[in-house]
Formats: sequence, C-alpha cells, structure tokens
Amino acid sequence: MKIKYSMRRVALGASLVLAASGVAGLVPVAHAATVDLQMVAADYPGDGKTQQAQWDALSKAFTAANPGITMTVNVVSWDVIDDKVKTLIATGKTPDIVNKGDYSAPAAAGLLYKASEMVSASTLADIVPTFLNNSKYNGTAYAVPDLASARALFYNKDILKKAGVTKLPTTWDELLVALKQIKAKVPGVYGYAVPMGPEEAQAEFSIWAGGNGGRLYDYTAKKWTVNSKANVEAMTYLNKLNNLKLIEPNPAKCDRTACAQTLFASGKAAFINGSVFLPAWLKANGGANLNLGTGSFVHNTGQEAVTLGVQDYFTAYKANGHQAEIQKFMDFLYQPANYADFLKAAGGFIPATKSAGAVAAKDPALAPFIALLPHAIFYPGDIATWPAVKGALQTSVGLAVTGSPAKVMADLQKKALAAK
Amino acid sequence: MATGSIRRSRFGALPWIGPAVVLILVMVVWPAIEMIRTSLHEIDQTGIAKGWNGISNFRTLIQNPDLPQTLIRTLIWVTVIVVFTVLISLPVAQILHGKFPGRKVVRYAIIVPWAASVVMTATIWRWMLDGFYGIFNRILQDLGILKEPIDWLGNPNLAFIFLMVVAIFVSVPFTTYVILAGLTTVPDDILEAGAIDGANGWKRYKEIIFPLLRPALLVSAVINLINVFNSFPIIWAMTGGGPGYSTDTTTTLAYKISFRDQDIGQSAAMATINFIIILIFISFFLKVSKWRETSE
Repeated sequence: MKIKYSMRRVALGASLVLAASGVAGLVPVAHAATVDLQMVAADYPGDGKTQQAQWDALSKAFTAANPGITMTVNVVSWDVIDDKVKTLIATGKTPDIVNKGDYSAPAAAGLLYKASEMVSASTLADIVPTFLNNSKYNGTAYAVPDLASARALFYNKDILKKAGVTKLPTTWDELLVALKQIKAKVPGVYGYAVPMGPEEAQAEFSIWAGGNGGRLYDYTAKKWTVNSKANVEAMTYLNKLNNLKLIEPNPAKCDRTACAQTLFASGKAAFINGSVFLPAWLKANGGANLNLGTGSFVHNTGQEAVTLGVQDYFTAYKANGHQAEIQKFMDFLYQPANYADFLKAAGGFIPATKSAGAVAAKDPALAPFIALLPHAIFYPGDIATWPAVKGALQTSVGLAVTGSPAKVMADLQKKALAAK
Repeated sequence: MATGSIRRSRFGALPWIGPAVVLILVMVVWPAIEMIRTSLHEIDQTGIAKGWNGISNFRTLIQNPDLPQTLIRTLIWVTVIVVFTVLISLPVAQILHGKFPGRKVVRYAIIVPWAASVVMTATIWRWMLDGFYGIFNRILQDLGILKEPIDWLGNPNLAFIFLMVVAIFVSVPFTTYVILAGLTTVPDDILEAGAIDGANGWKRYKEIIFPLLRPALLVSAVINLINVFNSFPIIWAMTGGGPGYSTDTTTTLAYKISFRDQDIGQSAAMATINFIIILIFISFFLKVSKWRETSE
C-alpha cells in the first residue's frame, strides 16, 4: 500500500510539474522599462515578396532610435487578417497596432485611440484630407490611412483590334455592342472578366452599381440601401451579360486574383476592372507582353462615370495602454524616407500623405489615378456594421449575376439591416 | 482499513487515468463549455462579450434563411459519404486480405490518401476540376467526350457531388484498414467448420465473415460519422461553401456566420447545435445498429 501511495504522489507531482510548465509558458517574462509593441499587418502584393523584411528592418531602425521600445510585427495575408485580429481580441491578446482594410467596428466599440492620439499634430497635418475624412466614426478620426488605390478600366488592345472595336465603350449600351462583337469575332476570349467571387466581390459590385448612381449606404437617411433600384438594375445588367455568355462562366465563384486577373493576364479576357497595381501584377504573372490600355469605367446612360477609391488603415488599440510608444512609432513610420520604403514594399499604391503624394504625382503610372481620386466613391467604411455587410456581399452578391438580382439583393439588404 | 480499501477501489486507478482525464477536461470539456457559454452571450463584431442574452443567438440562427437548406445538405453529406465509404471499403478490405503478389505495395498505396494532408488533397482536386485549367476537362476534351470545358465546381449540384467524392476518397483508407483488422480476427477454425458444412463463396461471406465483422464496421462507421460531419477543409479548400451558400454544411456555415457575417454569438449557437446533432446522429446510429447486443 505504501508503494501505491508513493506512486500516486509521483504521478501527482509529475502532473503538477507539467501544469506548472504549461502556465509558465503563458506568462510573459517582464523586462524592466521595455515596451514591446505588437503589430499585425496585412501583406500588400509588392513585388511578390512578403513585406515582413521591410517591417523587420523598420522595427530595427526604430528600436535603435528609441531604446526601450521594441516592435514585433506579424505580417499576415489579406484573406486571414480579419479573422486573425478578431481572434486576438477575443482571446485577450489585443495587438497595439493593426494595418488592414477597415476600422469602424472597433471604433464603434470604443477600442481605438483617436487619430490625433496615434500620431503627432504635424504628421496628422500631412495626411491627405480626403483620406482622413474617410477614417472617421461619428465625426472623429479613429484611424490613420496608410495608402490608397483607385480603380480603372483596363483592356487588351489586341483583342479589341481583332474584334474591330475602334472606340472605347463608355456606356452600358456601347459596352454590350462591343462585347457581342468580341464574342463573334474572337473565339475563346471572354469579353469582360467580372470577379464576383468572395475575394473582392464588394469592389466589383461597388464599381458596377456606382456606374448607375447606386450606393450601398444612404448617409442622409442613415440606412443601408443594398437593394436600391439603381443597385438591382446594375446587377440585372450584369445578369444579362452573363446570360449572353459575354463574361466568364460562373462569375459568382470567380475570385479577383486566381480567376479574373489570371484570365486577363493570359489574354483570355478583353476587359477587366483593375486596380492601380494591376500593371505590376501582370508583369510578374505572365501578362508582361499584353498590349494594355486604360480608361474610365462604363456607366449607364444618363449617369456619371465613377471610380472606386479604396483606402486601408492603421488603427491603434487602447487595450495595452501604449499610447506614447505607439505615437513614437507611427511618427517614425510616416517620416518621408521610412514611408517611402513602406510604399515601395507595398508596391505601386497611392500615398496617403501630402508630401509623398507630391512625389507620386510625377510618376506617370500613378498620376492618372491620383487625378481620378477627387471623383472617387469609397466604401461606407465609417459605418460600424460595414465589416458584416462586406462579408455578406463577398459570400453571395455574385449570385445576383447568375440568379435573381432582385431576390439576392433583397436578402442582402435584410442581412445588412440585421447586422449589429 | 475498510475505508482504505473502498478508497483504493474507487480511486486506485486515478494516477493511471488521471493524465487522460485532465487532457479530456482541458481539451474537450472546457472548450465545449466555453462554446455553449459563448452561444448564450451577446458578442459584438470585434469579438468582445457584452453579457448574457439568453437564447437570442439561437433565435437569430433559426431565422437564418440559409439554415434549412444547409441542414438538409448536411444530412445528405453525412449519409451518402458514410454509406458509400463502407460499401467501397468492404470489398477493398477483402481484396487486401487475400494473398497475392505485391500485396504489400497495394496496402501501402491505399494508405496514401489517408496520410496526405486533407487540405492538400482537396486543393489538388480543386485544380484538377478547374473550369479553365483543370486536367479533368483536358482529358475529357482530348478523348472527344466533352466539346466545351465544364466548370465542375461552378454548378452547385455538380460541386457538391465532387465534394462528396473527395470526402469518400479520403475516408476509404481508414475504413478499409479497420475492416481489414476485423477480417484478420475471423478465426480459421470457424471458416473450416463452415466449409465442412458446405458454406463456401458468397454464403461463407454472408453467414460467417460479415456477422463477425460487425464490431469493426460499427467502430469505423461511428468514427467516420463524426469525421465527415465535422469535415471543414475539403469544402473550404474546394468551394468555400459557395457559390453563395450552395455547398455549405453546418460546419462551414458556422465559420461563415462568424467570419463573414461577423456574428460570433450566432456562430457559437450553430456550433452548439452541431454538437447536439452529432450526439443525436451517434445515439440514433448506435440504437439502430444494436450496439449493446453486439458488444455483449
């Protein structure tokens, strides 16, 4: 019996040791007077390499200039960053700084420092006002824009030439004629690549709806307008293109990168709604020899041509109370030389600061897009429920192109109104 | 002394089962409790709990327009995959049980789909079935069977069938090996006695081998049931549950509710219902298969 009891003790002791080592692993070892800022950043496409190297170099330079503050930057891909940040917050490991595509939900929840607390007054004054304006929640900026992109119509000049399309279409009616011509004369090519798959369906939707005067949110009535008449009309037009087989098959599962841009790169699509970084992407992905043209998006007769502006954000979380350190780092990042490195690593985007914007305006690749921006429509990113509406659009707005536009949009509107 | 012996009989095994019990408590029971607790909380979009809100998450879930279709699809998913897996595995195990040259190689080959990462397998299938670049279309077109390429995963019904095919493909090896293990336990003397009584060929299989395989069949079916029901990577890697919600099961729907619709509370409610469904599935299955009678 004695032996048994002692064995029990050994087992108990062993499990205690196991448990203790488990706990020890969870408790961070405290360094006196050192703050480690945790940052999670989305990975911009750049030149095909991850941005981790750029962030690590910047962190090192920052720590050298500010002893006592270290940075841990975790670069993750776009398709998981929202899940990652949400999981970190839900499990009590809230990061200090996040770099991604939305900010309104945490701003509404009161988790964020104001933009004026994130950066010094002089840095804030250098941010392009339009972008800062798009970073507000209830009138106060809770995020600092990191960069922006604008969209434009890209087309394959060779295909248009073969099809005998001499004038670039500007309206829906003209586009329909041009697409029919392409279908008839250039077999094996889809007229328009319309990526309505989950990757970025909300962008494609916003562009087509925007060309019909359709918007997702009515700021006067303070209400989602997902199934407005203009929006349903725009989807009905795409539905018609789909039925006539003038766009790629199954647009509802066609993702932007793997499907639409790839088709366009391999010369299998005549038109695509592309972003400012598309030419660089094409070069790296087999489309280097395309005879590329750009123009404005087509629109419905009687409506205006629009472009979609998309901007991303830095947000800073209050959870760890590192406001002073965060501000030091953000100011360091926005110093012209460092910010230029960031933009370079991100690859071909429009800068969010006036000083860098002045430089970019001289870049022939960027200049036309910068000129477009004042007339751009943006996502309703300042509405707290935007992330939920964006998610719902990504999942099923594509079905409006293949199924019943009115019903799909009505279901989405119901979801948008129910989001909280 | 008397109390000591009672204590010993009740707790004497504790040092041995203790670590396993702790593991189960930490890895299974605790997360399950957390899940149920979350389903009864109001959670905002950013992931912060705002306090109890009773069964309101469940009410939202029941009103979710995509739920009824998904439940039906999940039932089809589980039934078809488990039934076909067992139907295919039975003869395969029988073949592997026989003696033939190269048996070892064949046995190893059958392990491959099981040993390979499911995400990898599903991704490869996705590209084989791709409408623009897939090898499936290439072969069928070269053979003159197809004129135009088909986007196999673009049509909801076709996509769902192929998802099930892949799920069966990765479930067969495990099931085959469990049945194979069952086959090796069929005693030779019973087979000989049967042979003397005239039980050969099909009759021998039906009357002697198959009844003796029942425990192995039950175990493999129950494990498959759980695996298939919870299967996430195949659907996620091949279709993402789309187009729209048309190939979702309740498992992928729970994920979408959480990370697309940003509703963690409702997602936890879905996960809790999943938990209950799987318990019902298993108890129903064990009941119809008369688990107790067989094990006694």
